Amino acid sequence: MSDAMEGNLNQIVEVIDLHKSYRLGKNNFVHALRGTSLSIKKGGMTAIMGPSGSGKSTLMHIIGSLDTPSKGEVWLAGNRIDNLPKKKLPKLRASKMGFIFQGFNLIPTLTALENVALAAEYKGLSRKESAKLARERLDVVGLGDRIRHRQSELSGGEQHRVAIARALVNKPDIVLGDEPTGDLDTETSREIIQMMKEVNMTTGTTFVLVTHDPEVADSCDHQIQMRDGSIVDDSASKIDGSTKTLS
Amino acid sequence: MRLLRNVFRRKVRSILTILGIVIGVFALIAMGSMAEKLTLLVDGGIEYYKDKAIVSEGGGMAFMASPMSKDRIKEVESIDGVKVAQAEINMLLEDLEAVNFGQPPMIVGTDLRGQEYESFEITFAKGRDLKEGDHKKVIVGSDLVNKLDAKVGKRIKIRGEKFEVIGILEKTLTGPDLTVVMSLADAQELYHKTLPDVLRKELKAEDLVTGITAFVDEDHDPDKVAKTIGKEIEGLSAMGPKAFQDQIGSAVGVFSAIITLIGLVALMVGGLSVVNTMSMSIAERTKEIGIRKAIGASSFKIIRQFLMESGVIGIIGGLIGLGLGIAFTSVANAAGNESGTALFLVTPRLAISAVLFALILGIIGGFFPAWRASRLNPVEALRYE
Ligand SMILES: Nc1ncnc2c1ncn2[C@@H]1O[C@H](COP(=O)(O)OP(=O)(O)OP(=O)(O)O)[C@@H](O)[C@H]1O
Ligand SMILES: [Mg+2]
Repeated sequence: MSDAMEGNLNQIVEVIDLHKSYRLGKNNFVHALRGTSLSIKKGGMTAIMGPSGSGKSTLMHIIGSLDTPSKGEVWLAGNRIDNLPKKKLPKLRASKMGFIFQGFNLIPTLTALENVALAAEYKGLSRKESAKLARERLDVVGLGDRIRHRQSELSGGEQHRVAIARALVNKPDIVLGDEPTGDLDTETSREIIQMMKEVNMTTGTTFVLVTHDPEVADSCDHQIQMRDGSIVDDSASKIDGSTKTLS
Repeated sequence: MRLLRNVFRRKVRSILTILGIVIGVFALIAMGSMAEKLTLLVDGGIEYYKDKAIVSEGGGMAFMASPMSKDRIKEVESIDGVKVAQAEINMLLEDLEAVNFGQPPMIVGTDLRGQEYESFEITFAKGRDLKEGDHKKVIVGSDLVNKLDAKVGKRIKIRGEKFEVIGILEKTLTGPDLTVVMSLADAQELYHKTLPDVLRKELKAEDLVTGITAFVDEDHDPDKVAKTIGKEIEGLSAMGPKAFQDQIGSAVGVFSAIITLIGLVALMVGGLSVVNTMSMSIAERTKEIGIRKAIGASSFKIIRQFLMESGVIGIIGGLIGLGLGIAFTSVANAAGNESGTALFLVTPRLAISAVLFALILGIIGGFFPAWRASRLNPVEALRYE
């Protein structure tokens, strides 16, 4: 699976000089990312922080193959993914990534079980297998007795757990969370982070979380600070003492 | 059923859309079944006349009964290619009170001369065929059984006279269903009574004939024989199978096509409402589409999902429309049966094509919205609230 990259296979994600600009009108560009580079260690928990508009979501979307960069490279587990043909993306998303978004990210007409199973079905599993896997994952996040509930019948914390179960159902290499605890109270937020940490420890799944919450960031082993589309602080580079500290 | 839950996520809207399809399919069934009935009637006629020439006085239509002389039989039989000529009386079972769609109930009196040459197959549900020497006996077509309250062995009244029912025909879905058959002599008597006074005094019942059916030899073309009859016998004209098809078949064909088209247009309108509903539904579910894409749905799967939803709307509408259509036509037919006029016939091919058409319409109606949904950029879709 991995030979293309001469670089370190301990790095699950490698982002090299990423640029993203949006065109607003004729000569007006928004530079959401301006030359971002970073590495994310396999099996770790990384927090991405920064003020609103600094490009965190944009970065996550590009790493997650939901969006394409204007310039730069994205490598996932030794394979370049930013230039893959569009047709290959669904499979990549289904089998290698898990997403947790802020807000209502469950499909409201589906039950908890169906929401989780859907991701497995998109990966190509049969309905039956998918349902079985989904039930297992919901058990892991402690919702074994809520599988028939819909979004409207679940608390905010429970909805997040369903989202986590869905992100994990295909045993992805990496789970990308964009403010996964953003709208939760401190107590529930702690529970959710605790659960992710457990999954991280037991399965070795890599987590990358965008967060405004210092407590969440502290419970991660790697912190990245962004501002105006650039990385201004990266705890990983401090530890090896090798490179840059901007600002 | 996830699919049904998605379809009925907005109940009122989906039900209204389904209703649009229901009305369309209902119209198609009602109109189409009328066309089917007519078409079968004509098909039966074409089948019946395929080896015959219908001879009548002057240039009139064969069904319009105007009297002619019985001596004509000999003349017709003298024409090359005519096996046998059968004298007939064709008259209305009862005088029409109103303009009537389709075929009115008829009395046919026959001298049975062509009986052994008949190629048109008719089977008897009960009883037996007419035979030489039967007097005041009738055979009743299946659609007239109720109207006349006919049973084998029972005596029924026809145009004021009593007749014994000796046979009841199996349903043929065409002409014979609405026909009472009796001996020529019996029919002549009935017919004689209907004539205006002046004519009645002048003509004798046993000389009356309204039509002659010439049975044509297998090795002769009935159309050519018909032509020869018209040319060689002064005052007679004859119609072969082709003329029958041209005159009656094409007129009915155009009429059938028009009423079927009306039904189709109604269904199209229903199909447009599917486009509208699916577009609205997809706009509302933009975020959901973003989520589906983010967790690995391919464009194909997105399209398939929405097409299945619109297909379900089409199928449900189609089946309900079909049900209502069948209910309506059978009630209307039952009411019509009292007077012997069943106007509608829901054939399997009509039922299947109506439902299939609704399904296809649903899918086509859903296609453009589904295709647009599949092309949504996942990031933008996710951002959508
Ligand atoms: N589709 C777009 N068109 C134009 N500009 C965009 C688009 N998406 C993002 N941007 C801009 O790019 C910049 C970075 O946006 P991004 O969503 O990545 O910020 P963020 O760090 O996630 O902020 P927040 O913490 O508020 O979620 C912002 O200035 C934003 O306005
Ligand atoms: Mg953001």
